[in-house]
This record gives sequence, C-alpha cells and structure tokens, in this order.
Amino acid sequence: MREDHFIVIGNGPAGSQAAFTLKEKAPEARVTIVTKEREGCCHSHLLPGFLAGSISEKKVFAISLDHYTKSGIKLRTGQSVVDVNPQRKEILLEHKETISYSGLIIAVGGRPYIPEPLLAYREHLCTLKTFQDTGTWRQLLPAADSILIMGGDLTSLAVTKSLLALKKKIYFMLTGEAFWPLRFDKALQEEVSGKLTKRGVTVLAGNKLVGIEPVRSGSCRVYVDGQKIKVDMIGAFFGLVPDIGFLRRSGLQLDRGVLVDEYLCSSHEGICAAGDCAQIYHPEIKDYWVSIGTKNARSLGKIAAVNLAGGRKKTRVDRERIFDIQGVKVNTSWWMEF
Amino acid sequence: MKTSGRILAQKVQDIQTSGRLSIRSASLPTWCPGCGYFGIHQGLNNAIQQLSLPHHSIVTVTGIGCAGRYAFFNNTYSFHVTHGRTLPVATGVKLANPALTVFAIGGDGDGLAIGGGHLPHMARRNINVNYLLFDNSMYGLTKGQPSPSSPVGTKTKVSPAGTFEMPLNASLLGLSYGTTFAARLFAGDPESITQALIEGIRHEGFSFFHIYTTCLTFDKENKTWEHLKERVHPLPQKYDCSNLSKAMAHILEDDFSTGVIYKKS
Amino acid sequence: MPGVDLTIEICGMSGDGTIAAGTLLNEALSGAGFSIIGFDSYPAEIRGFGRCVTRSRFGTSRMLALSDHTHVLISLDDQQAISRISMLGKNAKVLFDNKPAGTVQEGMSIAAHTAPDADLYGMPFTDLASEAAGTTRGKNLAALGCFTGLAGIDPRFFYTVIEKKFRAKGETVLNANLNSFNAGLTYAHTHFEDAPLVITAPAPEKKKVQRIMLSGNAAIARGALDAGLALYFGYPITPATPIMEYLAKTLPQKGGKVVQMEDEISSIGAVLGSFYAGKRAMTATSGPGLALMAEMISLGVMSETPAVIVDAQRGGPSTGLPTKTEQSDLHAAVFGGPGDSPRIVIAPTDVAECYQFTLKSFELAEKYQTPVIVLTDFFLDNRVENVAAADISGKKRVDGNIYPPKKEQGRYQRYLVTPSGISPRALPGSEGYIYPATGLEHTEAGLPDYSEPVHMQMNAKRHTKIRQALADLPPPKEFSQKGPLDLGVIAWGSSFGAALEAVLKARKKGLAVGALKVISLFPYHEEQIRQFMSRCRRVLIPELNFQGQLANLIGHLHHGDVVRFNRTTGTPLLPSEILLKIQELLQKDNT
Repeated sequence: MREDHFIVIGNGPAGSQAAFTLKEKAPEARVTIVTKEREGCCHSHLLPGFLAGSISEKKVFAISLDHYTKSGIKLRTGQSVVDVNPQRKEILLEHKETISYSGLIIAVGGRPYIPEPLLAYREHLCTLKTFQDTGTWRQLLPAADSILIMGGDLTSLAVTKSLLALKKKIYFMLTGEAFWPLRFDKALQEEVSGKLTKRGVTVLAGNKLVGIEPVRSGSCRVYVDGQKIKVDMIGAFFGLVPDIGFLRRSGLQLDRGVLVDEYLCSSHEGICAAGDCAQIYHPEIKDYWVSIGTKNARSLGKIAAVNLAGGRKKTRVDRERIFDIQGVKVNTSWWMEF
Repeated sequence: MKTSGRILAQKVQDIQTSGRLSIRSASLPTWCPGCGYFGIHQGLNNAIQQLSLPHHSIVTVTGIGCAGRYAFFNNTYSFHVTHGRTLPVATGVKLANPALTVFAIGGDGDGLAIGGGHLPHMARRNINVNYLLFDNSMYGLTKGQPSPSSPVGTKTKVSPAGTFEMPLNASLLGLSYGTTFAARLFAGDPESITQALIEGIRHEGFSFFHIYTTCLTFDKENKTWEHLKERVHPLPQKYDCSNLSKAMAHILEDDFSTGVIYKKS
Repeated sequence: MPGVDLTIEICGMSGDGTIAAGTLLNEALSGAGFSIIGFDSYPAEIRGFGRCVTRSRFGTSRMLALSDHTHVLISLDDQQAISRISMLGKNAKVLFDNKPAGTVQEGMSIAAHTAPDADLYGMPFTDLASEAAGTTRGKNLAALGCFTGLAGIDPRFFYTVIEKKFRAKGETVLNANLNSFNAGLTYAHTHFEDAPLVITAPAPEKKKVQRIMLSGNAAIARGALDAGLALYFGYPITPATPIMEYLAKTLPQKGGKVVQMEDEISSIGAVLGSFYAGKRAMTATSGPGLALMAEMISLGVMSETPAVIVDAQRGGPSTGLPTKTEQSDLHAAVFGGPGDSPRIVIAPTDVAECYQFTLKSFELAEKYQTPVIVLTDFFLDNRVENVAAADISGKKRVDGNIYPPKKEQGRYQRYLVTPSGISPRALPGSEGYIYPATGLEHTEAGLPDYSEPVHMQMNAKRHTKIRQALADLPPPKEFSQKGPLDLGVIAWGSSFGAALEAVLKARKKGLAVGALKVISLFPYHEEQIRQFMSRCRRVLIPELNFQGQLANLIGHLHHGDVVRFNRTTGTPLLPSEILLKIQELLQKDNT
C-alpha cells in the first residue's frame, strides 16, 4: 500500500494546526506543508505589537522550525503552489515540481486587500500581514513622524495603537470604502472615530483620497478632498482577500474563498480548506460564512485535519456570533478593545 | 705476470708526464687486471683526443657497478649517480648546458635491469647524449650474479642450478626503441670503439653503444675473452646502416657482428 | 559595522560552467575589495562529467581558512547540489533554477530537500540566458547576475571581469555573456525589490592594492619562473600536475623547457643533472613520487647537488587518496632516503608563501648545495586566494651559487671541508676545476673513501651545512600576546590558517592562547620553538595526519606532553574544530 501523503498549503495558524493534527491522527502518513512564506508560522495579529516593541520576534513565531522537523512534518518554506490537479491528486509548485497527495488541506489565508482606486499608489502603501512586511515598517518608522492609516480593519486599529505608543502623529482615513470582510456601519464608524480622536488621532472620516505624491524617499504628500497633508508613510488596512488565485484552474468550487461544507470538505474528495480562505456552509443559516482570527483559524485547521484523516467533525458556530457584512457572514472570535 | 707497485707507479708517472693520456685521471682504475673495461677506456680516450674535445667540456655520468667507477678514472667532469639512473641525469646535464659533451656509462645490470626503463625514453627524446652500455652479462662488483643478458643456464652463487630467464639483446632493444644511432662493439677492439664513438659523438641525437666485454673474474664459461674473440667479427662489407628493418633482421640473425648497426639519416 | 564573512558555493554538473562562474565570482569579489579563499572540487574520475563545486569564502578581514558552513548556495544542477545541503548554515540562501525544461517529480528539485530555515530563491537561470543570448550556455552567467542582484553588489565589478575573460573570444561571445548576466541581474531586481542579502563591499583601500587571484599551484609555478627556472621535469600525479601544466604554457616563452619524464626517479635525476650543470630545475610530485625519489634525493645530499622538489601531499600511504588532502608526507620529506640524509624542507602556509618559498628554495638549494623539498598539499595547491601583487612579484633572482676562487684552479677540491660546511662549487664547462661527484662517501677531492675519519668528517660537514641554512630560512612566526599562555597552538602548512583563525577567536573570548607558524620543518628553529613552548602551559599541534608527524618531530622540545589533534578525513581542517579543541582543553584544565 502506498503511504498516505497529506499536503497542507499554508503555514498560518490554520495550516500549521492542520499539519500537527494530521501527524497526530495519522502518524504513519507523510505530512508536508508548502508555504510561500520564507519564515515559520507567523501570528500576524501580533505584528503590530512587534512593531511597537512589546512583543518579541520569538513570540511572533510561536512554533520553532525545529518543532516541525522533530514532529516529522516536512515544511517547505518559500515555495508557492501554482496549480492543484484534483484528478491526478497532484499539486504543482512554481519551480515546476509536482507532488502527489492523498489528502490536501488548503489553508493559504488571505492577502491584504487594496481597493481598486488605490492600486495606482500600491508602491506607497505599507501593509502588515506577513513578517516580511515588518521589514518595510522597521526601515521607515524611525524617520517617520507622521503616518497616514487608511482603511479601518481590525489590524488598522492595532497598528494605530502601536504607533501611538511610539509617539507618532497619526492621520486616520476611515473612508468607509468597500473592504472585506469587515465594514463599519455608521454607528460603529462614529464610535471608532470618536475613540481615535480622543487618542489624538486626526480622523479624516468621510474624506476622499485625491492623490498621493512622493516627496522624497519614503515621504508622501497626500491630497484629500482638496486639502493636502504631508505624511512620512502610509499604511493600508482594508482587510484580507483569500489568496486562492492558484486554484482558478483546479475545478474546485470557489467564490471569494474555497467553498466547503460544514466538515470543511470541498467539492472534490480529499481536499479540505481551513482558515481565512475557507468559505464555510452553515446548515442552519443555509448560507456560507467566513471566519477570521487566529483562534478560529486554529480550530478550523484542526477540524479539517481530523476529517481528512477519516473523522467526521462539524464546525460549530452560534448564529449570534455570525454577522453579516455586505452579504458575507463573518465570524470573529477576537475583537480587541481599542 | 705480476707487476710490483713501484714499477706500476713509475709507469703511470711516465704516462702522465708524457701528456699522451692526459684524459686519464690521477686515480688508477680499480678494475681487475685484464678486464675488458680497459679496452673501452682506451677506445673512449682515443676518441676524445682525436676529436680534441676540451676535457672540462665533457661530463661523464656513470651508474653503479664496475662500469660506474669510470667516473673516477677519467679527467672529465663526472657524476657517479645511483644505480641505473645515468640517462635521466645525463638528460638534465645536456639540456642544462648543450655545449657540454655528455657520456652516460653503465653496465648491463645498470642499464638493462634496474635502469632498463630509461633507455626507451632516452631514445624517444633523442637528446644528444652518448650512452655506453658495457655488456659482460655479469654483476661483477657484487661478486658474480647473473645479469639480464646472461644466457639461459648461467650458474652463479645465486643461480646454482643455472638461470632459466631468456637473455635480453641490448642492441635489438636499442633499435626497437627508435635509437637514431646504434653501434655494437667489442672491448677487445679499442680501435673500432674509437671510430664508432667519433661517429656517434658527432651524431646530433642520442647515440647508443652496446659494447661486449668480459668479466674474467666471475665468468668462466659464457663471455670469456676466448669465447668472444672466437665469435666477434665486423659487420659485412656491404652492410647498409641506414636501413632499420634490415638492421633489425641482421641483429636477429647475427649475435656477434660489430660496427655501426644503424644511423638514422 | 560588522565585517562581511560569507561562503558561497556554486554547484553544477560539469558542462554547466560551474568552475567558470566560480572564477568570475572570485575575481569580481576581489575587485570589490574582499579577501577571498576559494576551494573547488572537480570530478575525480576521468569520464569528465560529474559534480563540480566551487566554494568561496570572502570577507572584509583577511580570510585564513575555509568556513564550516555555506551561506549562499547557487545550484546550476539540483541533482548535484542536493548533496551540498548538508554544508548549509542557518538561514542560508539557496538560488536555483525554477524553470526546468519540464515538470519534475517530487524530490528532483533542491527545494524538496532544503531545511525550513533555508531561504529559497527560484529564478529561471536557463530561460533568462536563452532569452538574453539565444543559448542556454550562459545560465551560469545568468545565475551570477541573479546573485549580484539579490546581494545588491555593484555589477560593475562583474562587468570588468566578464570583459576580461571573454574579450579575447570576440564581441559575440562577450555580449552573450554580458546579456545573460544582465538578464539575471534585472530579474533579481524586479522580482526581489529589496536586495534580501545585502553584501556591502568594503571601503576602497586607501592605497590601491593590486590583487591577483591565484591557486597555490600557480603560485608555485610563478615562484619558480621568477626564480629563473630553466628546466622542469615531471611525471603526472595528482595533485601536482597543474604545476606542470602551468609551466608548460609559460616556461617555453622564457626559453625554458618542460619535459615529461618516464617516472619520478628520472624526473629528480634530470633535476639533479641540470643543477649539477648549473641550471635551475624543478620537479613536483606527490607522496608516491616522493617515495620513488628518496634514493635520488639522498644522492643530491651526498653529492651536494642542489634540487628543488615540490611535494604536493595527498592522502596516503601508497596510492592512497589521490584527490584528498593530507599532511602525512612530513616524515618522508624530512627523513626519507638511505642514511643520514639532511635536506631542507619548507612548508608554505598560504598561496603567497607558495610563491615566496618556492622562489626562495632555488636560492637555498644553490647556496647550501642540497635538495630542497617544498611541502604543500591538495588543499593548498588547489585553493585560490586573491594575493597582493606585491607579495608575489618584484623579487630579484639571486644566484645562490658559491663558486671556487680562481686560485683554486688546477688544485680544486670540490668537497673542501669549511667551517660552514659549504664548499665552493664549480660547474662543468669551467676549466681547471674538473672533479668527480659521487653518491659514494668521498674525500674532499670527491674520490671514494670509506675510512672512518672521512665518513665522520663528511657526515658532520653535510649536517653543519644544513644547520647553517637556518639563518636563511623563514623563522617561526608567533601570533600571541606577551607572557605566559595557557595554550600554544603550533601548526604547519595548509592547516595553519585554520589554527590561527581558531586562536584569534579564542583570544577574543578572553583565552590566553597563542599560535606559532612553523615554516621551516627541516632544519627547524629549535630555539624559537622551544622558547614559545616554554611560555605555554600546554601545546596543541593540529595536523592532517594520523600520527601527528610535526608533534613527533618537535614535540620533544616541550617540557610536557604535547596534545595532538589529528584527523584523516581528506578534508581541510576547520577553525571551528580547532577552537572547540582549545576550549575543551582549557575547560578541562579549569575543572
């Protein structure tokens, strides 16, 4: 009998949890994680704290690389999957290596979403999703006195808090533009805006961005509805989009994320999805929902692994904890006090 | 015949003062009285004198054995090297200073046994060195052991039942290695040695002189004076020394003809 | 700013241009001002294909040895490069071709084998080259371009060396290579915006030092050429053959000759003949050849004829390990041969010394009328360093011969006993000085004599002479602080660099440790070595042989036991393992 080979794509909280659970449930099986990230499992919700210096690098990477090796998990870092072939049960890596699997968990998470109108200014916008992103921040921050934060997702608030701790002058453009998965309703927007203002943040609520003009290295002049502000760097926080472009040709059913049932199984046998990239069917609400946050991701990773290893475990979320944003049902287990 | 030391010394002094044989060094040869090497010595000295080669422009490289002692009996620069290695050292000397006339001298043990690997390459390189191989089919200085040219059945202290090995034919080897000048000579005929040497020294390239001689102390049956004198004869009158294949055929047929066997034109 | 100290490996199949790429890399990094030590490994088998690896350690301070780990691996052929993964240090960068001709099975890519901490950079070397130059042959250049881009090194350093290398092959070839390089460079710049591996070139030296990239073997050949070598006689043997190859190209231009002899005996024989007749000659060999030469070396000793012999050591005994490095010929070099046979043996420790001591050996051989053995090894012969041009040139040839005075004409005694043991030597061709040279024991006139007083006197003469040579031989060099030391490390040959690096690191850790470089192995500077040892509580002698041959030779000079550190893996000693041994010894002392 050919040995089982489980592949997990993604090494975030969901992916790594899935891999360790698989190894636990099926110790004889080979378990491989393929991740495009160059580092180990990064807890992106800790990155703002890392920037502020309140959280160590070691803590950001909760799982040591040795731990994978010792657990018998093959971790392939810095390698992108470019295609999945469910018929041949193979994945194709960017460097043209194919790997066969008997079971596959897609846990690629999301990448920062940049709204269409802002794409023209992409090079000036700093995001904070991966550990590599911290490089740019750490490079620019020491010389940056004023920073413009655009968007308004959960990370944006955490970053703002960290930057205030670093005594930076913050402009916050709470635009209300469409972003995913979160969008503030008016009440929430006002509440947040009020809290920010109280903290000394200049909130540019409702204003529209007209243009960004680089002044000199790093520094930008930002035009907002006719008014001009000069900032030294711009952070963009419009939530995440599942990073599933590589699945377009796979035949898997996709929407914004990978469509899976309540057991996290996809339209194809032997393929599950977990974490930010999974769009999960909820039998009670008879609709799909998504889940964000580290704790959720871990729990979904575990369920996907259990089910792939032959178990039958359902995702369970109380209806009340799911709220609707622009037609997408969102569950978040973490909501920080700002 | 026994000569007293005093008379011998007087004779040497006479020879030295005459200047006739200034090519001889002050050291007297230690070869056994009646040794064939004296004849070769004479033949070589005459050639040097007839060519008027300045003695200090000559280097004699000798090996180990009775022939090797030649280094001390000649009034030339000489280098008495290790057993069998005359040709490599002579190569170095000649390439370093082509103005020198270089002789390499060794016996049949030196040149066919321990140093047998150098002759082919000396021939291939064709460097202007004159190699005299004294062939008496005997190791004399180590007191009588068979050499590579001893005939089958040679009885010595180390081969009491007689040797079983086939003897090597040095002249044939020289020809087959591509030597550009080869002569076979006899120690009992110093005059022909002189003539061949003069021709060989003038030859621009490697010259090989295979010289039959005797070890009268340890060889009582094979290459004795009597045996050699009986058989050795000059090459036929019409002999063509420029034809290699005929030369080789002749050598295979006739073991005792002497003269210039081959000279590449 | 912390200094750069990095090791880069390029690995491919022969035919991939691995060695060529390594050479360009070394030259370019040298141009950028780094100190470099490189060590390539070629396929040992004659079938001409197999794994090629170039390994270069470069940095801002002087590189003394190889490093434990590789920081950057450039794979030109994943199947070959996979075996190099074990050399990778933490967070090493791995550059590999991510666009092979077709898809490959799991495990065929190097990416399948690297540890999670390795930083992979897949870049389409082959495609880049074929798009830029119409041929895939430039993939090595494309790979170099990719590396240059990732490292943020000024590409001009590479343009210069690519020009230099390919200019002679015509515009088309040159442009093809430049284009391939630039394609790689652009790819790295566009795909990895921030150079992920920033290598900052050192500040330009105040006084521009011209540096030349040279292997130990090439340095030996150049030293011999500058010494006025007239004749080279040799017999092919690994790892000495490159010396003959180098000289075959260069010596005839200077009017000299290279002759391939039928064996090592004839090689040394011809060298003796040449020196005897007054011309400088040399031969180079390895252990098996040195063994064959033993009798002729003793002829040189007895007849007081100069000779220069390079022994490029490899693994032994017998045919041993032809392509591995070892320092196990020391005893053979110092003692090999019949009788009491004193000769000079010197061992360079780096490439510049290969040049300097080879050059020096001719002068010594002539002055002391003796064979001189220059002892190197596979690692030293084949490693490359960028040496300062000043260190390998400008030496004036000195005629080491001592000729007899005119008044000796007519009554010349070649082996006249003198206080120094040196007798003036006449060369064949000179009138009035005819003498016999011989391997027999002889009188002052050179005539055989086995009598007691003659043999006693002549033995003493020969040994006196070699002892006298100490004055001309490079003395041991000490690297330590003044005063007593807890540990002294004494090393020789190619291992010294590693020993020194270990000692410098130990001193940085606050340990009272010193290093002593012994260059002249016979005769050796007894007094200086003894003095150093007397200041050391313990003495450690690391060497690449089983017995501890230097320890055997000089160990008795120490008041206590010397600690031997020996290994025979066929690979160069590393600073880290010597450092570990130092720490272990000093720790033991403290507990």
